[in-house]
Amino acid sequence: MSHVVAAKPPRKAEPPRTVKPPRKVRLDRSDYVLRGISYLTVATFATFCALPFILIISASFSSESAIMRDGFGLLPREFTFAAYEYIFRAPRQIIGSYVVTIVMTVAGTAIGLFVIAMTGYALQRKDFPFRNSISFFIYFTTLFSAGLAPTFIWVSRYLELRGSYLAVFLQLLMTPWLIILMKNFVRSVPYEIVESGKIDGAGDFRIFLRLVLPMMKPALATIGLFLALGYWNEWYLSSLYLGSTVEFKPLQYHLYNIINTANALRNSVAGSNVSITELPSNTLKMASAVVATGPIVLAYPFVQRYFVSGITVGAVKG
Amino acid sequence: MAAALTQERVQPRETSTTKKPKSLLRSIVRNRVLLLMCLPAILFFVVFSYAPMPGAWIAFTNFNYRDGIFGSPFVGLRNFEFLIQSGQLWLLTKNTVLYNLAFIVLGNFLQIAIAIMLNEVRSKYFKKISQAVMFLPYFISVVLIGVIAFNLLNYDTGYVNALITQTGGDPIKIYSIAGAWPIIIILFQLWQSTGYGSIVYFAAIMGIDNSLFEAAAIDGASAWQRIRYVILPSLKPTFIILLLFSLGGIMNGNFGLFWNLVGNNAALFQTTDIIETSVYRMIISQNNFTSSTAVGLYQSLFGFALVMLANWIVRKINEDYALF
Amino acid sequence: MRKPLARVAAATLALGMSAATLAACGPAGDEAESGEPTEITMLVLGDKPTNGRLEAMLEELNPILTEQANATLDFFYVEWADWQTQYNTQLLSGDDNVDLITTATDWLFAWENAEKGAFLPLSEEMLQEYAPRTWEQVDAEGHWELTKLDDGQIYFIPEDNFTQWTNHGFFYRGDWATEAGFEDGTITKFEDFTTYFKWVKENKPKAYPWDVSLSIDAALTGYLQGHTDFQTIQGISAGNYFPFQTTEADPYTVTSWYMEGDELVEAAELAKEWNDIGVWREDALNYDGQTREQFFAGLSGADQHHAQTFIGTIVDNMNKKQPGSDPKFFYWGLENGNYFRDILTHGAMAVNATSANPEKALEVYDVLRNDEEAYKLLNFGIEGTDYVMTDDGKLGYPEGYDSSTDALGSNFWAGRMDEFEPDRVTDAPNKQEIYDQLDAGAKDYPYSTLIVNKDLIDPTLAAMGGVLSEYIPQLQYGKFEDPAAAVAEMRQKLMDAGYEDARESIQTDLDAWAETQG
Repeated sequence: MSHVVAAKPPRKAEPPRTVKPPRKVRLDRSDYVLRGISYLTVATFATFCALPFILIISASFSSESAIMRDGFGLLPREFTFAAYEYIFRAPRQIIGSYVVTIVMTVAGTAIGLFVIAMTGYALQRKDFPFRNSISFFIYFTTLFSAGLAPTFIWVSRYLELRGSYLAVFLQLLMTPWLIILMKNFVRSVPYEIVESGKIDGAGDFRIFLRLVLPMMKPALATIGLFLALGYWNEWYLSSLYLGSTVEFKPLQYHLYNIINTANALRNSVAGSNVSITELPSNTLKMASAVVATGPIVLAYPFVQRYFVSGITVGAVKG
Repeated sequence: MAAALTQERVQPRETSTTKKPKSLLRSIVRNRVLLLMCLPAILFFVVFSYAPMPGAWIAFTNFNYRDGIFGSPFVGLRNFEFLIQSGQLWLLTKNTVLYNLAFIVLGNFLQIAIAIMLNEVRSKYFKKISQAVMFLPYFISVVLIGVIAFNLLNYDTGYVNALITQTGGDPIKIYSIAGAWPIIIILFQLWQSTGYGSIVYFAAIMGIDNSLFEAAAIDGASAWQRIRYVILPSLKPTFIILLLFSLGGIMNGNFGLFWNLVGNNAALFQTTDIIETSVYRMIISQNNFTSSTAVGLYQSLFGFALVMLANWIVRKINEDYALF
Repeated sequence: MRKPLARVAAATLALGMSAATLAACGPAGDEAESGEPTEITMLVLGDKPTNGRLEAMLEELNPILTEQANATLDFFYVEWADWQTQYNTQLLSGDDNVDLITTATDWLFAWENAEKGAFLPLSEEMLQEYAPRTWEQVDAEGHWELTKLDDGQIYFIPEDNFTQWTNHGFFYRGDWATEAGFEDGTITKFEDFTTYFKWVKENKPKAYPWDVSLSIDAALTGYLQGHTDFQTIQGISAGNYFPFQTTEADPYTVTSWYMEGDELVEAAELAKEWNDIGVWREDALNYDGQTREQFFAGLSGADQHHAQTFIGTIVDNMNKKQPGSDPKFFYWGLENGNYFRDILTHGAMAVNATSANPEKALEVYDVLRNDEEAYKLLNFGIEGTDYVMTDDGKLGYPEGYDSSTDALGSNFWAGRMDEFEPDRVTDAPNKQEIYDQLDAGAKDYPYSTLIVNKDLIDPTLAAMGGVLSEYIPQLQYGKFEDPAAAVAEMRQKLMDAGYEDARESIQTDLDAWAETQG
């Protein structure tokens, strides 16, 4: 995350250049060598990145006995849907977790994004005299923090939020980094737009909502994706603030429990009347992992374009 | 942030908000809409960041909930004594800092390398697909990374040991070998972050003025010389800013990654315990809030001092790069 | 920039502090004597049942509670997944939705949580007024003394009128032990399990000799108890461990089996031998499985828990699921008679310090514990569907009842009463024999009334807990190449943590206590 934050935005409102004009240059041998190495390395590294996913997907379609005998492999061993059948035989838990996570992700991303954009905009307004103090007020929390234990005690004993989804939902709404990143993005919106709005007699909030916000789609996509990832992948706050107080745990925390405790594994397929020793526990864990991760990975190609261009806007210009 | 604050410092201040109460009040009224727009965020940080801060006092008490944070018996530095004396604080600091250094050095190296190579790739589809695949690890939760690691490395059914036994070797007890874990953790960290991190450098390469490349070509530069004399120097500011930021966070770890890879496996603590895992474990499995707070406070203060020091040094060298 | 920041910081600080003081005042207990029944929530351990039987039972129980105490009961479950963590964080969070809290001094951190203020101190007047039957029974036997902190206040109600043996040991299979060469399939010495485990390893390729998971210290405790006369002082825990002992030979000197003697090293060396044999999973430290089910399925040669589990669960399940397996119980201290009668606070009920209705909670508890009808509903369920009474007066289960899916799951382990507990058809046939055998050799726990002031040594205990949680699991699973060196290292760290100060402080309390004992 800090990568993007460090970005020095373009000072003028010049659109990011993603396509370079072709270089009319004669290529010598070293160019071809470099290009060869590049293809090879990139391909290797990409494979390296994909490999573990293949391993997990294969395992989820393998038979338990084959895994126990031969271990995990790159291709499914004795292909079967058995593990998925178990999960969807009593899908109450997993569906409940899905609903909780989807609601939190959608609502959290929408609200967080709006608040962050609003704040980022106000803090970037050159004529806003409090922008330095407020920026520092927010930035300071990255320099010094209360620490886990005092925060836990504060949130659970004084705010009395333990056992409530709000404890997780609220704490993930924003981070200082995202606000600062948004501030940098806003800078790429020409100030003339604000001024033209003022001339038309629009209020500050109206200028933001009607004029600035529509110009920030890549930024919103990028920060929105960060927020959505934060909500979707959340397990840590849940382990502290939800535990077993709620019936439906957020998806990744549910997965965390399934992976780490046999009890949770059995409970997740409760109702299917089986003893834990008869459960295909290894493949069941893998299938749960696939089910819990699938949507965010599937969603990625659709946002990739915005994401890359968003980061590029925010990224450092030499 | 770096850039943002730097720039603002360079720019002349339009108004001073602190001189006279009257003008302050007037200024508040005049900017009420913008202030209101900031209010939700301000409230957020007051409630979730500033309000718990007085609670750090727990580090100096024998905390119990009946007497509360400020009513519990004061014990001075007792909670720190053993942490220091036993060398635990030192071990945690050492592990945290060394892991971060490894992440920074190897991470940036790989990211730059991948970015440069991606730039050399001409096939559009190849570029797109490989980029997408390389970002994939960034999208999944650390819980899943823990699963992946266990699948690869466990003794009975792990992929690595399955490979070894198939080729006639003896399986390795990876979850008992503390020495192997720095490498494993670093590999997973690189696996997760390199694809994503390379975008920033890639974007910076895209932003290099074309005339530089043309000039290099006219001078008959080879591909290596082009990298050495055009690309790398252009990436220097990016690198320095990223480096500074990483240094600022050197006392923080990638908690989720460590926890999901190692968990409560005490056999690996010597080489894998970082400040944040220790703070979490003290609460979660030892019900020990006072030591946990003490370590957390140490982390905050030491980290704060490091940022200040880093900033001071940078300011001496080149004011433009300073954080504030 | 600096000035406003300071102002903001100050304001925040003030806000935080005032909120802290406000909250410290705590809610005032308000009475709702008439009108709508008050809902009392009881925290129990276990997985929330989903078979609807608990709700059905509550529908019959709640009218009784409404009539007798104008209250109804609800359950709050701390699930087995990660239960130690979740139990402590739940208590720490001060959640005022919970009124009654199941606790225990030996496995649920009752003393620690009482000291940290999680439990409401119960005055004698309060108990006499709102839980008179309970008060009288416990008082008659003088057992309130077992529940007081050094401030002289009562913090929980002991399950003191319920016979149970909770001394731990191995469950193993007599059939396999016979084949391994043990006479009658009976193992009488802790280290003889090496032979048994080896046999299982060689002859039962599908099974682990002892499938065990996570951070227990059974292998060490079992050895230490059977080879020394150390007796653990309850109530002084360091993290999840009880590091202070005395010896039977010298019961007035505080010592520690983690610090003194060669036995810990011997135990660790034995554990290493077992690890090298492959008694447990190589990745045991990263494993949490339902090992008991593995034992029932014939996939584990041993299991570890206490006598009550053996009598109530193991024998019945093994006879059904592994016919002819001849399950046996080897308890720690069997060799040398170094084991104790059950402490009376293995189960106890506390009232949440933040409960809005502590009096009501006590009233409800009094009914649950002493009203036979309510007691049976709570513990056994509805007669005919959840249980049946056999002709010979035993508690049995209806046709087609499967305990793994049909269990009531009320898990009331904090106030069971012998007079309401019939024998069960699932009890081990030789239950009485086991009891008699245990009873013949057992010692009484000598320090029931010893109260230790831990205010001064809490930071030390916390530090020791940190050290132990690093070393004990590794010693237990034989993960150190050189156990002797590891033990020496651990001892040095415990010394650094202030072991000697803590020991002396406890010694002072023990001396004072010894004087009152005459």
